[in-house]
Amino acid sequence: MSAIDPGMEALLETFVYESNTMLEQLDEILLDSERAQNISHENIDSIFRIMHTVKGSAAMMGFSAISSLGHAVEDVFFIVRETPDKLTKVFSDLFDLVFQSSDFLKREVERVTSPNYEEGDPSALVERLHHLAAVMKGQSPLEETASSAAAKSAAAGSDMANADELHKIRVFFEDDSQMENMRAFMLLTQLANCCDILESVPAHPESDSSLCADIIKNGFLIMCRPLDSLSDVIKIIENSLNIKSYEIIHDEEASFQAAESADASEGKGETSEAKTSAAAAGASGKTAAAGSKQSLISVNQAKLDMLMDLVGEIVTAESMVASNPDLKGLKLDNFTKSVRELRKLTDELQDVVMSIRMVPLTGTFQKMNRIVRDMTKKLDKKVELVTFGGETEVDKTINDTIADPFMHMIRNAIDHAIESPEERLALGKPEAGTITLNARNAGGEILIDVADDGRGLDTEKILIKARNNGLLTKPESEYTDKEIFQMIMLPGFSTNAEVTEYSGRGVGMDVVRKNIEKVGGSISIHSVKKEGTTFTIKIPLTLAIVDGMNISVGDTVFTLPITSIKQSFNITDPSQVLHNTDGTEMILLRGECYPIIRLHDHFNISTERTQVMEGIMIQVESGNSIACLFADELLGEYQVVVKPFPTFFNKYNLKGHGLSGCSILGDGSISLILDVGNLMNLS
Amino acid sequence: MEDRKYSDGLDDLSGRYLTFYIDEVIYSLPLGHIIEIINMQHITHIPGVPHYVKGIVNLRGKVVPVSDVRLKFGQPERPHDDKTCIIVTTINDMQVGLIVDSVAEVVTLDKNQMAAPPKAGKRMGESYLDSIATLNDKVILNIDCTKFFQADMAELFVHEN
Repeated sequence: MSAIDPGMEALLETFVYESNTMLEQLDEILLDSERAQNISHENIDSIFRIMHTVKGSAAMMGFSAISSLGHAVEDVFFIVRETPDKLTKVFSDLFDLVFQSSDFLKREVERVTSPNYEEGDPSALVERLHHLAAVMKGQSPLEETASSAAAKSAAAGSDMANADELHKIRVFFEDDSQMENMRAFMLLTQLANCCDILESVPAHPESDSSLCADIIKNGFLIMCRPLDSLSDVIKIIENSLNIKSYEIIHDEEASFQAAESADASEGKGETSEAKTSAAAAGASGKTAAAGSKQSLISVNQAKLDMLMDLVGEIVTAESMVASNPDLKGLKLDNFTKSVRELRKLTDELQDVVMSIRMVPLTGTFQKMNRIVRDMTKKLDKKVELVTFGGETEVDKTINDTIADPFMHMIRNAIDHAIESPEERLALGKPEAGTITLNARNAGGEILIDVADDGRGLDTEKILIKARNNGLLTKPESEYTDKEIFQMIMLPGFSTNAEVTEYSGRGVGMDVVRKNIEKVGGSISIHSVKKEGTTFTIKIPLTLAIVDGMNISVGDTVFTLPITSIKQSFNITDPSQVLHNTDGTEMILLRGECYPIIRLHDHFNISTERTQVMEGIMIQVESGNSIACLFADELLGEYQVVVKPFPTFFNKYNLKGHGLSGCSILGDGSISLILDVGNLMNLS
Repeated sequence: MEDRKYSDGLDDLSGRYLTFYIDEVIYSLPLGHIIEIINMQHITHIPGVPHYVKGIVNLRGKVVPVSDVRLKFGQPERPHDDKTCIIVTTINDMQVGLIVDSVAEVVTLDKNQMAAPPKAGKRMGESYLDSIATLNDKVILNIDCTKFFQADMAELFVHEN
């Protein structure tokens, strides 16, 4: 409907980003406040400011649904701020409503970028917000709207009597706001609705961009006769973005100036002002805080991805130069020195780029709070979310990918695992269930536990369900508990008989597993009946570059992540290799026995070196298991850029075969990156 | 007039086909699906995939899977010679290289030069055909790219189960 003006597209991006950040902040404040059962003054002001900014920018972009709802929320918080004691009366209603409004706004903001965006209808919410405001004021809805408007216009109230006269208002725009002439024009257009006579100096600001300088210097003079009252006009001016100050020029009186601070450094003044009189309220509450000026910039993620790719290419190019076959056998002291220097720099560059992409998990954890809140309300359960290790940092891509799986798991936990309060009390558990999110670093990986203290997984039910769905591949008695737990992550498995709003579509855990595997992670389940379930998610710290040992098998090159290698050795005596009763090979090392995985057998590669004496053994470790890989030879240590397999191979489950990706080597050939964990599971 | 010219430029691709040989048979692919033709190069084999998926190649830093059209059509493998090449195609934003015996030329085919393939065919290769065209007394089998890969996927799905 409201097709976005092409010129606005850049603005739109900023709008979406800003609004999302603000709305997230809003949720956070609301959750904190709801938990504390009280809203502090600062929080009220923050909410006010957030809604104001969202509303203001939405109005500027022409999204009336967002701005009108934002306005209604703002109105409610205006009353809250004026009369905090009324709050207790409507506390939970207020929060529900504001949460719903925030959801609506988020949805809208998400949708505005789509090409055929049609505004949603916020009128129901607006209506309820108005009603709430009325209840708080102890008045009927109609009266309230009028009086709220009156309260807001208190500053300009004295002018109301002169409504028939032509008012002169001089508006100054913020420094550096740019396109002042267009902003002036937009202001005029907005004002046109509530004034029957409207003139300005300069008369047609939109016609000539050179008028900018004039507007900056002398301000933008508006002469108008309002239809209703001057306060409406002032409200519009106050609500417009990028207006530094405005003054109403009275014919005889000295001009009075209501300076609007848009700078957060003046925020202090704003709060104190807020507490004072209604006269100040009109102007100060409207403050659009542009956010504190930290030395942070937001960057388009695509650019970061590109930077990452480039660094990857540089690392590859560097190995290409350093281990160039042309240099073989040459003694190049100075060259080697320079290469070492270059290597150091590229390492550093890589670290910096990586760190740019690292974001703490806090944000994702915060979002879960919201889900817990909504679901517990809906399902009438009591659940507390406890998080640890939110400061743990992961790659942005990983962070984005795991948000959905978390949501699924938490929904599942609340819906299926946590019992109702009565049931819990009967079982001798605390009334409120606990869901714990615990993130921690472990070597090159991050472990995240999602644990609940609910009823635990019911192995019998799972088995029955699996049987009904034809998911069993061997006799039921042969399944271990662990294998049974894994079944819940098979496609088409859902233990809940009924499909609820939140979970039980039978895709949940399957999708969770897929998403986590997509970023190279894995998921394991531990569950004790009646005590709870713990999902442990293991994800790599970063996706892109690994230190690897290249090994050859036939003419195929594999890369083994250095972190998984314990040692490599040659076998001098074939009798070191023992044969298990089932024919598999093992080797005895320092009193412990490890299985041997022959890579050429496993991957069906033809090679001449099939005798254990001819090749090399590499002892590898993943998790708690250790095995020895048999390959032809070690080619050397390289840094490789991990590339995922083309989507073409998605169907073949290469990860299941023990391959996590591929990488382009210095000479342009491709190596396959081994996934030691999966490799061992297979053998 | 200007607009007209542009649209002609786009239409140009739609009636045009790249023809290639498998043995003595001429096949063709719609030009719109083709990115480039590259010489045979070292292919890294991938374990656990059907025999006609030969592996992956490095195409200027991009990893591209390669299928052998001969094997896909159920014909015996043949040693690669200097005419063997890889046609890099794109379908659903996915790039796939196709190994063919040799590439012939780009032809423009008219709708009325084409006939629908027989419905009662049993050999698997026929199921990828879009149409059969005749040009200068030569028969050209037009391959439907979507079918070519979709059948691939469907087939795999059966394997998985």
